[in-house]
Amino acid sequence: MVIAFVIGAVFIMIAGSDPISGYQSMLRGSFGSGLGIANTIQRAIPLVGMALAIAVAFRAGVINLGAEGQMILGGLVGVLVVLYVPGPPLLVMALACVAGTAAGALWALIPALFQSWPGVPVLIASLLLNYPARYFSSWMVRFPLKDPESSMVATDSFPAGTQIPLFASPSSGLGQTLLNNLGKDNVLTIVGRTVNWSFAVVALLVVAVMFMNARTRFGFESGMHGFNANFARYSGVHSGRLTAQTMLLSGGIAGLMGVMFAIGAPNNRLMDGQILETNYAWTGLLVALLALYRPSGVLIGGIFFAGIIAGSGAMGRDLSMSPQIAAVIQGIVIILIAFRVQIPVRRRRTSSEVVEARMEHDQAEEEVGRV
Amino acid sequence: MDFASLIDGALVESVVRALIPILLAALGGLICERAGIFNIALEGLLLIGAFGAVAGSYFSGSAFVGVVVAIASSMAFSLILSFGSITRRAEPIVLGVAMNILAVGITSFLLVALFDTQGVFNDPGIVGMQKIAIPGLVQIPWIGPALFNLTLLGYLALLLVPLIHIVLFHSPVGLRLRGVGERPIAAQTLGVSPAKYQYLALLASGLLTGLAGAQLALGNVVQFAENMSAGRGWIAVVAVMLARANPVATLGAALLFGFAEAIGYRFQAYGLPAQITEAAPYVVTLIALLFAAKYFRRGTVTAEVT
Repeated sequence: MVIAFVIGAVFIMIAGSDPISGYQSMLRGSFGSGLGIANTIQRAIPLVGMALAIAVAFRAGVINLGAEGQMILGGLVGVLVVLYVPGPPLLVMALACVAGTAAGALWALIPALFQSWPGVPVLIASLLLNYPARYFSSWMVRFPLKDPESSMVATDSFPAGTQIPLFASPSSGLGQTLLNNLGKDNVLTIVGRTVNWSFAVVALLVVAVMFMNARTRFGFESGMHGFNANFARYSGVHSGRLTAQTMLLSGGIAGLMGVMFAIGAPNNRLMDGQILETNYAWTGLLVALLALYRPSGVLIGGIFFAGIIAGSGAMGRDLSMSPQIAAVIQGIVIILIAFRVQIPVRRRRTSSEVVEARMEHDQAEEEVGRV
Repeated sequence: MDFASLIDGALVESVVRALIPILLAALGGLICERAGIFNIALEGLLLIGAFGAVAGSYFSGSAFVGVVVAIASSMAFSLILSFGSITRRAEPIVLGVAMNILAVGITSFLLVALFDTQGVFNDPGIVGMQKIAIPGLVQIPWIGPALFNLTLLGYLALLLVPLIHIVLFHSPVGLRLRGVGERPIAAQTLGVSPAKYQYLALLASGLLTGLAGAQLALGNVVQFAENMSAGRGWIAVVAVMLARANPVATLGAALLFGFAEAIGYRFQAYGLPAQITEAAPYVVTLIALLFAAKYFRRGTVTAEVT
């Protein structure tokens, strides 16, 4: 950590600013102030969700690198529903969430099917499918859905009441109560008017995945499949079906995150590249890997990285540096953590060097067949 | 639309132009794959190389210095992956993904810090690489202008394909490199240090992605744009898998991608939206994979990753 901050300081100095005031504003912008905490939570919601989506897949040994595309398509479909389906706003919102989840799940199902037949690895197919999703949604927002009256490249604004509402917006009853009892600068009040209800959905999802992993048959089988796919197959797990189910689940969560991000207040229209820019999918992948696919770890890691994103964003604004300083610090922190953690997966499996050597030998033997 | 008019000499030229950076990067990935390291940092390495090339060329006024800086910066960047995955035994996938994020961050950040621009940096101060026409051969219709009027790096990329093939399969160094990748324990008992060869392989991939970046930023265009590698590094990763780490087949895979990219630009001229044609290379690659899938049946890369 210390090294990361020293390297970060070098970059701040390259940009011609003072590192100490830089880190002060980073701390203020992440965990050190009410607004900072609110910003961190706001970013932690999709980040934790995406990390969770990837963690359920990786835990089952299904390398889903297509979460980005699943999230984008989910968001796009959700926005389509909100814009074009008439009806009571709350119902439309719920329908958008369902439709986005389904879109993400179905997009994720494609690589799973390709792996069963004709045998393209999920890893590659899911990765490649990111690009059509990305370019298609960009085209949709730029042309068919573009609001001609807006100078932004964005869709029409969403009909009133179809956004996912703020946790406690100043106009709502809860928001008023908080405002009157705690004052407008209290942390809870600020969080309430910044963070929307997808907060609760993600919290529920984390608990649900914990329960699934520990207590259900699917969770057990997918853990076993990720640990050793051959063993799982010999014990009667249908590998193809498990992969398909896992991808549906993983893509569904990613799609849901896309919708909730796109139609969650305070967003009221979808801009071109809005979901892509955040890079939640790739950061989520890293969080999932560093958390060893455990939901609790995903939660903690997600909040930590959300803090880094929010904090370095604030630093970039305060010292008028490129917002990309966030990506720099994030990348350095992850690399240094990875240096320290050292193949966590293998560590867990083997206790002695002898076993490890034998495993490597077996693996080498397997690879001979491949090359 | 007249389909016959889509295919002409100029198309062949743009296929070759699109193919060279991918080929160089894919050859780098191939060497790593043979040494038993899954290098998914190609995208980041390529971007760092492109930035190094533009920075070197701008500050020195010489394209050659630009290429040298590109190589140096990509090789230095690749040390993160070698140190992490070989010495510290960290997960190469984590490192690779982090390096890709870091590369976008560092280059965009330095773009503002050094050149005070956001988005695209093009300046008459950046010296591009000259194309060198081979007299006589360049007059051959269709393939002449495409194959014999390239930058030095273009010729180098095409020559590297047979060269790497010979080194890999017909030289002691290549044998040891493959031995390290296939059976590290066996290699070790014969006195070949896996770590040494893996370090060398990653340095070689740094060198090649550096060249790829230079070709992209000083050859194909003369400028640096944020995230200008635009997925080419990922395509290179896929090309290596598709070709099962065989140099000649890698050329084929890169050719396929180059064709998809070039024909995409062509369709754009016929009014197809850019967003749709830009997706074409990825879709074409996926379709090609579906046909080539029988090779993946046994021992897929997925098995190695998990």
